[in-house]
Amino acid sequence: MLFSFDSLATMFHGIAAGGLALMGLFAALFWLYAMRSADVGTTRTIDPAPPQRAFGVLMVVVAAALWMTVLGGTYIVFPTYRTPPPEGVTALADYPRAFLLSDAGTAWLHAFAMESKEHMPWIASMLATAVAFVATRERPRLWTDRGLRGMIGAVLAVVFGLVSFIALLGVLVNKVAPVQ
Amino acid sequence: MATRHDDLPATGAPAGEAGDERANGASLAAFLAAGIGSLAMGALVVLNEAGIFPSPTFYGPTGGLSGRSTLTAVVWLASWAWLHRQWRGREIEAGSVYLATLLLTALGVIATFPPLWELF
Repeated sequence: MLFSFDSLATMFHGIAAGGLALMGLFAALFWLYAMRSADVGTTRTIDPAPPQRAFGVLMVVVAAALWMTVLGGTYIVFPTYRTPPPEGVTALADYPRAFLLSDAGTAWLHAFAMESKEHMPWIASMLATAVAFVATRERPRLWTDRGLRGMIGAVLAVVFGLVSFIALLGVLVNKVAPVQ
Repeated sequence: MATRHDDLPATGAPAGEAGDERANGASLAAFLAAGIGSLAMGALVVLNEAGIFPSPTFYGPTGGLSGRSTLTAVVWLASWAWLHRQWRGREIEAGSVYLATLLLTALGVIATFPPLWELF
């Protein structure tokens, strides 16, 4: 078989689920930016309901994608990554964690990069879930409450920053010590 | 035509009937709970690295991360449920809750940053 299950799972984790989340986060941030230019709080000639509904749907998709990424990473990809090599095995390419730690030049990819990836995505997922809840519940307020839009924007910026950082670290780790 | 909500009272008082969608309490509860969950994750990481509270292993192949993440999720969901019950249908002063959420999140993120907990 050309690709192992673990390799496919890693690709789904990073590219499909994680990539979907990143695109969705960017779209959400752009939506909020575009809303700043909208005719807010004064006479409107357009029905705000459809874009408000769309934002809510988008955030639910983003939160779901993030949870898929986090849970898949924690319970499918990470175990394969951290599997210790059997005693006596010196070829460590099939054991990413051990491989990275075996060389001082690559040890930081585990000690810093992977250790960051273990915990920060959970924070991002919880924050995204909060935004999804608020976005679906507070549809009318999204149009008129600048404070709420500002808070959503701030939280989404944090989530986008975290996910971008984590994604980059994942690319680096998988480049040097791919899960096969 | 939209109805402005910026002039709603910020007294913590019920905003009309229970479950009134115009009240912001439930939404603020969601934000603050996420901040509490973030802090919980950071605290569990630091406590584990300091040897004060080693993370339990709920799923062997994942190791201690399974314990830290599960406990974090429990704290997050429990605090959300409690805050939601307390604040649903009420209009809450949003600014302080927003600030608390961002502060707790910042603390949580910083605590999960390896250079910090490697000090322990």
